[in-house]
Amino acid sequence: MNWVTIGLSAGTLLGMAVILTYILGWANKTFRVEVDPRIAAVLDSLPGANCGGCGYIGCREYAEAVVAGKEPVNKCSVGGKGCAAALAEIMGIELAENYPYRPIVHCGAHYGDRLGRSDYRGEKTCLAANLVTDVQGCIYGCLGFGDCERACKYDAIHVVDGLATVDYEKCVGCGACAKACPRNIISMTPFKAEQMLAVTCSNKDVGREVMAVCKVGCIGCGACARISNLFRLEDNLPAIDYEAYSPACSLELMKVCEKCPRKGIVFVGKPTEKEIADTAHEQLPEVVKPDFKTTVDDTEWRG
Amino acid sequence: MNYLLEILLIGIGAALINNFVLHYFVGICPFIGVSRQVVTAFGMGCAVTFVISIAAFLSWTVTTYILVPGAPLSSWIAEFFISAERASRIDLTILSYIVYIFAIASSVQFVEMYVRKFFPPLYQSFGVFLPLITTNCAILFACLLIMGHIVGVDNPEDVWDLGKSLTLAVFGGVGFTIAIVIMAGIREELDFCDIPGPFRGAAITLVVAGILAMAFMGFTGVDSGLKKVLTLSTVEKTINGDHLDHMKNN
Repeated sequence: MNWVTIGLSAGTLLGMAVILTYILGWANKTFRVEVDPRIAAVLDSLPGANCGGCGYIGCREYAEAVVAGKEPVNKCSVGGKGCAAALAEIMGIELAENYPYRPIVHCGAHYGDRLGRSDYRGEKTCLAANLVTDVQGCIYGCLGFGDCERACKYDAIHVVDGLATVDYEKCVGCGACAKACPRNIISMTPFKAEQMLAVTCSNKDVGREVMAVCKVGCIGCGACARISNLFRLEDNLPAIDYEAYSPACSLELMKVCEKCPRKGIVFVGKPTEKEIADTAHEQLPEVVKPDFKTTVDDTEWRG
Repeated sequence: MNYLLEILLIGIGAALINNFVLHYFVGICPFIGVSRQVVTAFGMGCAVTFVISIAAFLSWTVTTYILVPGAPLSSWIAEFFISAERASRIDLTILSYIVYIFAIASSVQFVEMYVRKFFPPLYQSFGVFLPLITTNCAILFACLLIMGHIVGVDNPEDVWDLGKSLTLAVFGGVGFTIAIVIMAGIREELDFCDIPGPFRGAAITLVVAGILAMAFMGFTGVDSGLKKVLTLSTVEKTINGDHLDHMKNN
């Protein structure tokens, strides 16, 4: 009887397998959905960080938009050029020359340079501080509470002495900091070279008023615009024509940097090899770590 | 007892009193996982109801005709090899789990293809939870509950037929849908609440689920009360009928 039981068990499962396989096979044929195989291929080529830098919720949505032809292949700033090339190959299109977008902080004032600062004791975010008047004299410049620092997933922007400073070696250009800044002083700029010329001020007021609130703010003198036609004065601020900008015209630009009375036109970006070599001998200052021997408050309460 | 009455009581029992989620605590995974929006939750409830019905149909058929001792199909085949008396004692209920999982997995596959073809947005919002219906214990639980009413029942009249089994499955699914939709409604409102930090997220969801389960305990006893009322009225009719007959005779 055991053999019969075993045989029946095997037969039952085999019979069910045959019947259900037949039904599922029929269903698979009837309910087939045509999915573009390129979507899966594009998705594999994307970094999968789901950062939203391209403007879509995640990598999958962007992949679908690329395959549908609604979006260019080079919008993924995290993947960069390699990713765009891979996507272009999948989609069978030629890749135009593309520069990575990197944030530029249009403010150059550290705590020591800002005038008219008040003792702000509210919530320590730029968003909250921006609602209050007279946190600092300049109503355009960086507040230094680090909303951008918290928005960055890649640890690439830090508030150094009250000024947001981008670490271009870590930055992938997702644009989260530019979205987080309530004063909109971070702009995403196409970096044609490793180092780019930038205007480090956003103050649109006339020179006298800028002088009253900041030691380094742009006074709108127009010296840069007189030397190079790359600059155009708009709202008391020089605007750099990045379309015409090319890394080759550096000599003329060095002159502009020197001429600027407030030293508000500077090169930002990754350090060059020469600069690294120049500063190689300098010792890094020792990082001070909290020591409980000196920081613990052991005073007694005597009431 | 009246057959229709029995069906009614099984239905109410499965949907409200012995709700799969809130009384037996099976199927918690999708209950927590897919209850963010009412629309998605309702879709999930419908998918589970559909799968549970198919699985119950398959498992009832297989159990009745193959698995139970003396099942028609298996004993008919066994009689070719052994005596009829021994063949009627062959017990294949050891196969129940594997066969039920088999049936559930197949019906989930079927539902997945169907939803993907005809409801692409629903398919998107389900995500990984649609294939996970396979491991939804509510469905296996329903199959095992049905098996419990077929195998090992002494009185042959008490053995469940297909109608009762399907009623249990469908109303069990309806009960699951009710529970998950209520939960999704609460969670949609919960998004606007100022919840203390440690309770945010999964913690408050589980607390809400517990309170909901306690609320559903209020249905306890509805079935016996209903049974009493409905059977009593039949009894009264019979008595009145007897009385009338009696009077006529006089």
